[in-house]
Amino acid sequence: MRDPSWLIAFAIGLLLLALLPTWVDSYNLTVLRDALIFGLFAASLDFFWGRTGILCFGHSVFFGLGAYIMALVSMTPDIPLPSLLGLLAGITGAGLLAGAVGYFLFFGGVRGSYFTIVTLALSVIAQQVAVSWSSVTGGDTGLIGIPPLMFGGLDLSGDVASYFTVVALLATVLLGLWALSRGRWGRILTAISDNEMRAAALGHNAALRLTMTFVISASTAALAGALYVAMAGLVAPDLIGLLLATEVIVWVAVGGRGTLIGPVVGAVLVQRAQQEISSFNPSLWPLIIGCVFVLIVFLLPEGVLSIGTRIRALFRRGAA
Amino acid sequence: MSSSFLRAEKIGMRFGGLQVLSDIDLEIGERSLTAIIGPNGAGKSTFLNVLTGVLRPTEGVVAFRGQAIGGLPLHRIARLGIARKFQIPSIFSSLTVVENLQVARWGSARTEWPEDELLEMIGLRDRRSVQGAELAHGEKQWLEIGMAIASSPTLLLLDEPTAGMTPQETADTAALIHRLNKKLAVIAVEHDISFVRALGADTLVLHQGRFFRQGPFAEIEADEAVRDVYLGRR
Ligand SMILES: Nc1ncnc2c1ncn2[C@@H]1O[C@H](COP(=O)(O)OP(=O)(O)OP(=O)(O)O)[C@@H](O)[C@H]1O
Ligand SMILES: [Mg+2]
Repeated sequence: MRDPSWLIAFAIGLLLLALLPTWVDSYNLTVLRDALIFGLFAASLDFFWGRTGILCFGHSVFFGLGAYIMALVSMTPDIPLPSLLGLLAGITGAGLLAGAVGYFLFFGGVRGSYFTIVTLALSVIAQQVAVSWSSVTGGDTGLIGIPPLMFGGLDLSGDVASYFTVVALLATVLLGLWALSRGRWGRILTAISDNEMRAAALGHNAALRLTMTFVISASTAALAGALYVAMAGLVAPDLIGLLLATEVIVWVAVGGRGTLIGPVVGAVLVQRAQQEISSFNPSLWPLIIGCVFVLIVFLLPEGVLSIGTRIRALFRRGAA
Repeated sequence: MSSSFLRAEKIGMRFGGLQVLSDIDLEIGERSLTAIIGPNGAGKSTFLNVLTGVLRPTEGVVAFRGQAIGGLPLHRIARLGIARKFQIPSIFSSLTVVENLQVARWGSARTEWPEDELLEMIGLRDRRSVQGAELAHGEKQWLEIGMAIASSPTLLLLDEPTAGMTPQETADTAALIHRLNKKLAVIAVEHDISFVRALGADTLVLHQGRFFRQGPFAEIEADEAVRDVYLGRR
């Protein structure tokens, strides 16, 4: 997306989100708030997948790790600034894990679908750990009673306050990721995904750049996970598992890979559809998301936004 | 090993059962100009791959400023000041002309050439915002050369820089190389004899993986045996 149109889309979106509380009731506001947190999660995956072309099939691991660490830290009795410490610990933990994964895979020469498969295995393992290590994670039922966001005397637990906290964080992170991906960082990443050997022959350390990008992406996912549990008040193994890992890929693909805003929109829309569908049959959703996933992978590898591009190309060919 | 600028000693390269390079020695100095010619399949590109560390030779060592480069990761070798134009243009097709040059600059610790001067040099000033994928073959060749220069090397290796160029462009390329040669060492692999003549450089003839002749181009050109190799009589 060109710079001006991205900024315009960003500004319009932000304005809409800022004005929404004036006509939306507090229940729908909290629903939207949670959807936007998952939108932040989708943007974090897009920052990596969209720029490097390498699909991570275990991004829920980082979201979930952020969520569990936030829960455990902020529920620790008598610690100062529990919300802040929880957020920082979650982000750091996920960043360290991503750094280790990136170190072993990227520096070992693993790319493309092999990376996807290894990260997929990671999400299965993570879910298993979350279920089995019940003394810490609460097992299948997870943990409840996680305190809402508090920074010293600043209480952000109200519906409107928590909504604006999420919107502000989302906007800041989106701008930051966008600035990174349109600038020097992103261009070097594009070069690496175009032709890694050529980029290396020009002096670029591709493995290091990919690892650092993965760390940023994973830390952002953890921020989303940590925010989510503070708002929801509970954490459970489905926040770290394979279904969520699949869903976030669908959100990004539906919204448009490589656009950062698109995945946020995709996350909100697909979750809306999920609520509609689940309201008359709760067990239908995993089946549908699986089918949509297969369709996207085989028919629209470039995302739903590419339909427009394709139609235009078709017309141009017809006209010529 | 003494600390000469670039030195290759007893290089041998084998792919499975195929001996592509045997017993090659080469030593060149700073700001030197060297041409390598030879028939198809002689091993020219393979030799450049060995010199730039893309391939690790099965025998022998390559040293740049006294440091053995075999086994160093590619980006580290590039950062020593070695740049390479590949035989098949391998520019970044999703980036524009100017972005390609930027990425090339950012990989290097030094930036010797201003962007505009580079664009002027490679004749792509009017094409600066065009996507790499949309360039014509000749333009890709130019950009590829520009990227190698943009990384501010002290040693530039060019693999068939004029392939697909018009005679005029070929002459321009020779002039550009002379200009660059004032600041850096150049090794050019080329088929086009008129180009090598215009370079007028010390010339190495590679034949069946060995240096067959070495000397000023005028001498090489007059050599009966070299003509035989090129005409396939040997
Ligand atoms: N990676 C490889 N594996 C196996 N054989 C190879 C490999 N690379 C090159 N060769 C073989 O080595 C020989 C020399 O190839 P090379 O590309 O170096 O020749 P060249 O002199 O550059 O030829 P051209 O003028 O066609 O570019 C050829 O027979 C080629 O098939
Ligand atoms: Mg060759």
